[in-house]
Amino acid sequence: MANDLSLRIVIVDESPVRAAILEEGLKEAGFQNVLRITGRTNLLERIYAIDPDVILIDLEDPSRDTIEQMFQVSREVKRPIAMFVDQTDSKTIEDAIEAGVASYVVDGLRKDRVKPILETTISRFRAFARLKAELEEAKSQLEERKVVDRAKMILMKMKGIDEETAYGLLRRTAMNEKKRIADIAQSIITAAELLR
Amino acid sequence: MRRLAMGFIPLTDAAVLIAAAERGFAMAEGIEIELHKEVSWANIRDKVNVGLLDGAHMLGPLAIASSLGLGHVRVPLVVPFALNLNGSAVTIDKHVYAAMAEVGEDLSTAPGAAQALGKVVRQRKAEGRDPLTFASVYAFSTHTYLLRHFLTGGGIDPDRDVRFVVVPPPFMAESLRGGLIHGFSVGSPWNSVAVEADVGRIAVLGAEIFGWVPEKVLGVHARFANAEPELLHRLVRALYAAARWCEDPANHDDLARLLGEPRHLNLPADVLKRTLDGRLHSAPGGRLRAHPDYLVLNRDGANRPERDHALWMYAQIVAAGQGEFAADAAREAMGVYRPDIFDAAVGPVPVKHPEPDCVATQFGAVFDARAFLGGGS
Repeated sequence: MANDLSLRIVIVDESPVRAAILEEGLKEAGFQNVLRITGRTNLLERIYAIDPDVILIDLEDPSRDTIEQMFQVSREVKRPIAMFVDQTDSKTIEDAIEAGVASYVVDGLRKDRVKPILETTISRFRAFARLKAELEEAKSQLEERKVVDRAKMILMKMKGIDEETAYGLLRRTAMNEKKRIADIAQSIITAAELLR
Repeated sequence: MRRLAMGFIPLTDAAVLIAAAERGFAMAEGIEIELHKEVSWANIRDKVNVGLLDGAHMLGPLAIASSLGLGHVRVPLVVPFALNLNGSAVTIDKHVYAAMAEVGEDLSTAPGAAQALGKVVRQRKAEGRDPLTFASVYAFSTHTYLLRHFLTGGGIDPDRDVRFVVVPPPFMAESLRGGLIHGFSVGSPWNSVAVEADVGRIAVLGAEIFGWVPEKVLGVHARFANAEPELLHRLVRALYAAARWCEDPANHDDLARLLGEPRHLNLPADVLKRTLDGRLHSAPGGRLRAHPDYLVLNRDGANRPERDHALWMYAQIVAAGQGEFAADAAREAMGVYRPDIFDAAVGPVPVKHPEPDCVATQFGAVFDARAFLGGGS
């Protein structure tokens, strides 16, 4: 096991937050040699210099074709690193692709040695996607609250009512029309702008 | 209405797939095509493999290599339709091209340009300078094989005298400018983009090397072809109708605009129009390099996936040292291309039989299928 934990792992990801989350996850799992690479300049030279056992790369990184070709010519370069597309098992590969990550492993590395790395990677990529979704959700909730506040102000001004009554009016209308309060608020703002 | 997710790489030869999705041809067959722009051929392969995509715009040699399990996981693919023939060009760094103009060869012909490049490569070697680096878009691609044939025509050994790398099409011009590469072979419009940016010169059009060469295809997973043959027939019919529309020069303005949209290629329509018309500026300021077969989208049976084309691609894979010859693999490669599905869906179409071989090789070694199958060389 000590041997496995010293495997050299390279993370190629332009998202610094996700790369950090993954690095942390792998280090928590005991892997000590985890390196992050960003930027496309001299990518191949940098990977050669590290001579990794495993490469984890964002599925949407355009460098994937470049990296895969490197494995083919590696027979002819001075210090070959024969790497292959990971063939762990079809379920894991499917999970990885759906999570948005591709992996390459050095020739001869046994499947069961790669699996824990891949499982950590998949779960961290998923965690990041959830985090991002939550963040976007929070952002849009904040936006919606702003919209509702503006609509309330318009109603208060135009109808000479207090805040509570204005909100009640919004809520009743939303219920009657089977729409979201934010949608009703948005249409009030649009109408007010048109009529201004 | 059946919804199908289809991947494409931003290239002019995604035209037939994009037109099928956006100009009503798929709808007429009861299919709604949802287009997905992808950043790498590896993504196309992997997403078709796991079913995130139902099919995709694909390099012919990628479909064959994937089915044979060369270079990665084996993904059994089926090619029922060829999206185009030809459409590539070789662009050379403008300084190297200037050197080619000094060695007394006629650069207006492909063999002349190849000879000139050969002389420049040998000159550099004699001076002890670094070998030139050439880029293609994917290891298993017609672009790689075009480049190898062109270099060989100039007396250059593609495995020893130069370096090969892979660069994604949108990064070609920038890599040329940065001196990371000295030339590349890529599909349109990316040659024109390098010319417009004044970093490269189009040295030769693909059609001047091979006059009738397989390029992009529709690739689907074998499980799709087996499970829903009738749906696949409808898809092929939709693509064929779209291809006829795309081939007609009267529609090129509309097509260029459609392809240029940000969600598709995100490029100026006039650059795309010139690539559709086969009239490319080889240098900034209007010098044209034109060829009637620069890009063939439909005519002369171009959409029928011919088995001898599949065999030719397998032979290139072997010649490039990307796979070892095996008679079984050769048969399997031919089996990836499915003219039977095309015929069942579309019916008989007039097909051109090019000379002197199935890809209309314009100079250099001619492809001999029988000798290849007999001896593996």
